[in-house]
Amino acid sequence: MAAAARVVAARRPWHVRARRWARANLFSSGWNTLLTAVTLAVGGYITFALLRFVLVSADWGVIEANRRLIFLGRFPQGEEWRVWPPLWAFLLLAGASYGLWGRLRPRDAVVFVLSSAFLYAFMVEGANALLLGIGLALAIGTWAASDALVRGSRYEELAKRITVGGWALLVPFLLFMLAGFGGVRSSLWGGLLLNVVVATVAMEAALVLGVLFALGRASSLPLVSRVSALYIEVIRGAPLIAWIFIGWFVLPAFLPPILGLQDIGLVLRAMLIFSFFEGAYIAEIVRGGLQSVPRGQVEAAHAVGLGAVRTMTLIVLPQALRNVIPALVGQLITLWKDTSLVAIIALTDAVGAAQAAIAQREFIGRQAEVLLFVAFLFWTVAFVMSRLSQQLERALGVGQR
Amino acid sequence: MSTIAIPGRAPGFWHRRRTRRLAIQAAFGVLVALILLYLLERALGLQLGFEFLRSRAGFAISHQWATDFSANNSRLDAYLTGVWNTVRLVVVGLLLATFLGVLAGVSRLSSNWLVAKIALVYVEVFRNTPLLIQIIFWYTAVFLRLPPTREGIQLFDLVFLSNRALVIPWAFPQDGIGVWLIVLAGAAVAAWAVRRWRIADEERTGQPGRGNTMAVTLFVLLAAVSYALTDQPLDLEVPTVNPPVNGSFRGMGGGLQVSPEFAGLLVGLVMYTGAFIAEIVRGSIQALPRGQGEASQALGLGAYDRMTLIILPQALRIMIPPLTNQYLNLTKNSSLAVAIAYPELFFVGGTIQNNAGHAVPMFLLIMATYLVLSGVTATAMNVLNRRVQVVGNN
Repeated sequence: MAAAARVVAARRPWHVRARRWARANLFSSGWNTLLTAVTLAVGGYITFALLRFVLVSADWGVIEANRRLIFLGRFPQGEEWRVWPPLWAFLLLAGASYGLWGRLRPRDAVVFVLSSAFLYAFMVEGANALLLGIGLALAIGTWAASDALVRGSRYEELAKRITVGGWALLVPFLLFMLAGFGGVRSSLWGGLLLNVVVATVAMEAALVLGVLFALGRASSLPLVSRVSALYIEVIRGAPLIAWIFIGWFVLPAFLPPILGLQDIGLVLRAMLIFSFFEGAYIAEIVRGGLQSVPRGQVEAAHAVGLGAVRTMTLIVLPQALRNVIPALVGQLITLWKDTSLVAIIALTDAVGAAQAAIAQREFIGRQAEVLLFVAFLFWTVAFVMSRLSQQLERALGVGQR
Repeated sequence: MSTIAIPGRAPGFWHRRRTRRLAIQAAFGVLVALILLYLLERALGLQLGFEFLRSRAGFAISHQWATDFSANNSRLDAYLTGVWNTVRLVVVGLLLATFLGVLAGVSRLSSNWLVAKIALVYVEVFRNTPLLIQIIFWYTAVFLRLPPTREGIQLFDLVFLSNRALVIPWAFPQDGIGVWLIVLAGAAVAAWAVRRWRIADEERTGQPGRGNTMAVTLFVLLAAVSYALTDQPLDLEVPTVNPPVNGSFRGMGGGLQVSPEFAGLLVGLVMYTGAFIAEIVRGSIQALPRGQGEASQALGLGAYDRMTLIILPQALRIMIPPLTNQYLNLTKNSSLAVAIAYPELFFVGGTIQNNAGHAVPMFLLIMATYLVLSGVTATAMNVLNRRVQVVGNN
């Protein structure tokens, strides 16, 4: 009966279905109708005002004039080519990963096409259009090849290993391309590029530190556990901006005068501070994960003769990390957003560039345009990260075993 | 043979578990001690005393409320003014963020499609954008872009908006406020006692006790009577706009003047933290067994009663620990005031450090202050947590 009713319902003309849907979801009661009317008025007004601003009253010339500043900061002219190979490598790896692990969903394809169209319409011009085209072609090519040829073949395992290795090498490659062979001093890195560099380096370092401190805190050795706990609590006690200021004013006096350590630049110090700060937060998340692994797992590992180190690295940690993926990615997103704080210590990251653009005489009163644009850049990356985390959870079967 | 021979030998000295643990800890302890010694040795070469806080501050603080700081006061006074500025910002921020977060979190689960979607968009937009940009946006692109005082906007004669100050209605304490507050405290205790008595009565007889209604009525009555008897200790003012005198700021009066810095920071913190609290509220509600909602529906409770009597009290238990984290985050994030020069503790501390040096003691003081603030918040929330849990387990 129920199945038959559903079939009939599906065959009703669309306007009947629309009316039913609206009655169930918007006007189910008098109170709900009132609520719909009020939200429609308020939400409609906000949407209208925002659209009118974006399409009519905003003057996007300020972005046009400052695009380079926002993306690259004071990166020297003529060295921009250094940015492209890491970006290509990223797109290539992304395409391969999607082909190897993902499943083509129409929605993803639409998002990809739309964002590419957006990039071409508003973001790139001239030679950059060609260079970005190469990257997009690489992404589509590796996706198609790995999806159609590699997946299911006997090379799949190998391809997966190579891809994972590639991801691991991406950040060192980025740093090498920027600073290697007569490269650009880190004090000249800027714009969104600086946010990306600081965030990716700090993410990797913070994950390692976080796991170490979590293991330390969970250790049965009282001294190790107390010291780790103290470290975590002290770091978490003060705001990040306080630690950044400490890295700015106090840290130099405490660095040993060897290996040129005292002269390390502001960017490197920012990376250090971010790594140790977010490491403390990640440690707490990982500790939660460690506690979520049933004791039986440890006992079973001991029973089959695994030592303490291998029990931890092969049995406990993989399960612990898998259990806390949402919180972990949430913290990495926080780290990504927090990199904007380097603007406060006078580095020209994307936010610093925005402040510089706002201060230009010919663009007085254009705060909203610049800030909305930079916010949009940060938002896009953070949003993609949160979506990837959901995909990762699905791929690893969290909550299904 | 009554004993079973164990193959192999007893582990040697270096293979005993005890020895290994001791050795690892000793090595770790030596390492930590060396690092601490190194830091101490370095620190001894720096200025470590706190005497510099006694000297004259030499700078003014523009935002003050119930404080009376001038450049001739000591640096310590300046710092304490900053701490007070942090506290009042954080307290208002916590209240508003909680309200907004609960509202948005409940809306996320609304059966009304439009309400749920708007709440979703709010959460996704504000959670995934850096707070720093949001604060700078509210400050420079919204509050500083309001018209100047002379052309300020007046809404319903209640709120006055301009780029120098927002003016909101406010009740200013008069003489006799102390007496009235004491009476209010007494009234609160009395109301609480009445509520306990009615609930006990209700549990004994099974008749509706109307504890909440009676308690609230008693409190309001006592408050109103004592308010009249103490000769109206609050002076309610709404913003008034006088014709501008030389176009100056004094052209408006009445009400409470909120600076654009305070407003920008507050709105930024509230919108950002509210989005995180909304997700916590939604998660906690979804973590409840579905049967709770269905059962209360079956009992004939309406949507509002279902939410306030059945769902939220139970979700509160799951909510409090992550909520505490968000409260601590808001407290610490208030330090972003440094980006728009609102003189809270971090900004004032930074100014003192800029003027006087002494970076190490200044930052130690700042960190200690944040630890105390976080400690107070966390302790209060832990007390609340324990209460909620006990009530639930009865």
